[in-house]
Amino acid sequence: MSPLVYSEATHKRFEHSLGVMELAGRVFDVVTNPANVTDEIRDLIKDISHTGNLSYWRRVVRMAALCHDIGHLPFSHAAEKELLPAGNSHEDISRALILSDEMKDIWNSMTGPLRPEDVAKLALGPKEEKELGFSTWEAILSEIIVGDAFGVDRIDYLLRDAHHCGVPYGKFDHYRLIDTLRILPASPAGDEIEGGEPTLGVEHGGIHTAEALLLARYFMYSQVYFHPVRRIYDTHLKDFLVEWLPGGRFSTDIEKHLSLTDNEVWSAILNVARTADAVEHVHAKRIVERDHFKRLYSRDPSDVSVTLNPGQRIFEAAKQEFGEESVRYDSYSQKSDPKEFPVRMGDWRIASSTSISETLQRLPVAKFEYVYVDAKVENRAKTWLKKNRQAILEQDSEDEG
Amino acid sequence: MMLNRLQRLAVISRLTDSLRENGSWGGETHVQKGAYFLQEMMDVPTGYDFILYKHGPFSFDLRDELTEMRADGLIELVPQQYPYGPKLSLTDHGKNLQNKFDKTLKKHGPAIESVAVTLGGKDVSELERLSTALFVSKELGSDASPEERAERLRELKPHVSDAMSLSAVKVVDELLVETAG
Repeated sequence: MSPLVYSEATHKRFEHSLGVMELAGRVFDVVTNPANVTDEIRDLIKDISHTGNLSYWRRVVRMAALCHDIGHLPFSHAAEKELLPAGNSHEDISRALILSDEMKDIWNSMTGPLRPEDVAKLALGPKEEKELGFSTWEAILSEIIVGDAFGVDRIDYLLRDAHHCGVPYGKFDHYRLIDTLRILPASPAGDEIEGGEPTLGVEHGGIHTAEALLLARYFMYSQVYFHPVRRIYDTHLKDFLVEWLPGGRFSTDIEKHLSLTDNEVWSAILNVARTADAVEHVHAKRIVERDHFKRLYSRDPSDVSVTLNPGQRIFEAAKQEFGEESVRYDSYSQKSDPKEFPVRMGDWRIASSTSISETLQRLPVAKFEYVYVDAKVENRAKTWLKKNRQAILEQDSEDEG
Repeated sequence: MMLNRLQRLAVISRLTDSLRENGSWGGETHVQKGAYFLQEMMDVPTGYDFILYKHGPFSFDLRDELTEMRADGLIELVPQQYPYGPKLSLTDHGKNLQNKFDKTLKKHGPAIESVAVTLGGKDVSELERLSTALFVSKELGSDASPEERAERLRELKPHVSDAMSLSAVKVVDELLVETAG
């Protein structure tokens, strides 16, 4: 729903997938270049010295990168969790597509053939492919695509989204960053002089571009992805889809999945917005006429010292006061903090990124919480919240009872 | 019964604190391995999904929860002097949370303390070996001999020597006997 706020943000997932494939190949070439691999890493990862293997895995990495988002629903993450049948995710659909007979024919026809399981494994990564063990080599290759710190998925979407949204703070020098990426032993902790298992890190010369990447991520999350108006349109879209989809859920059937794109959904929104007696009319009309709910509350760090769930409390109280139909709640907390990674210093010692970068030490963890109300009750709700805010936050229920 | 989110946060806060009190470096890897032993050996129902990943068993759920605990100001990341990785430290807000969950911590406190005493003095390499030894012991079951489990550990972690692998399995066997007793 970003184009409703950033009008040029109309780019497609396919362009992003091509970008991720291109960057994945570049990172692979840099980190496996013999001049960039130490003997220590060669001892730990035998595959890195086998030229024949490298050629195979380079193609797997590029194809996995191309297909990493293939199972995404219309509008990507906007409505995924609540609108897929319980226990399903878009990664399940990605896996099914990559392993499908149709795609197996494609993997088999390549010179030489790729094992579909390898493509799926690297595309989804250890978090989603929990049942499969990842060797150190496979974990590194998957990290190139979906890794928290230097995954090319993130590098591409930050740069691409910043470009299309017309915001400068998502940009960073990814050419320099990629040139300095290395497979390194993890940062030392405590009295360990030697580092741990290998992971992606940077040469000392790349630390500032790595800082720029992580700052870009923070700013893009706070300024674009969690822009309160952008987020409420996701909620209105979700409200629409619950009414519009058969049974209120997306289908996980592959053929049905492939036949439903953003275009079909947009077309339905426009049609329903013009059909006053349709059940989902009110939600479609809000989107088309840009009559979105207004922000009543944003998470304030000082409120968190009173209760861990300030937004949730205000949401519940506001529902009681103004009715369920007039209030919405949205929240997100950063899932991982990628600022800790190994850095190879000039003397070849491995250092923790946070031990050498004051910028990374101070980078906050992002968390957002919003409560919205229908514009019709906005003024009344703001007056009500001003009067009752402290009492709502201080309700004594956050214990064992 | 599975702990709810706030009870779980109180348990992880106490574990972070106890590990540090027992000499642990107290980085995220130390808390991850402590939580694995707490759940899988001491049967504290935290409900994390552990997979075999870097440095042994690892939970993405716990990683996300630790990040959120930092966003909520319950714990903080304390950078260390060059070249070391950061430590996790409990804030006053985190200590207040523990006070609100007295019943939960009374029930699971001895298990947390036991894990902290056992693992507090271990570095990341030792924690990796012990937690992977526990992982393979649960994977292969009690019928598998120490040698079989040590071999499996070596398969999963080729950088661990034969002798260290077998030694880790035997330490875990002793811990399991102590826990059962």
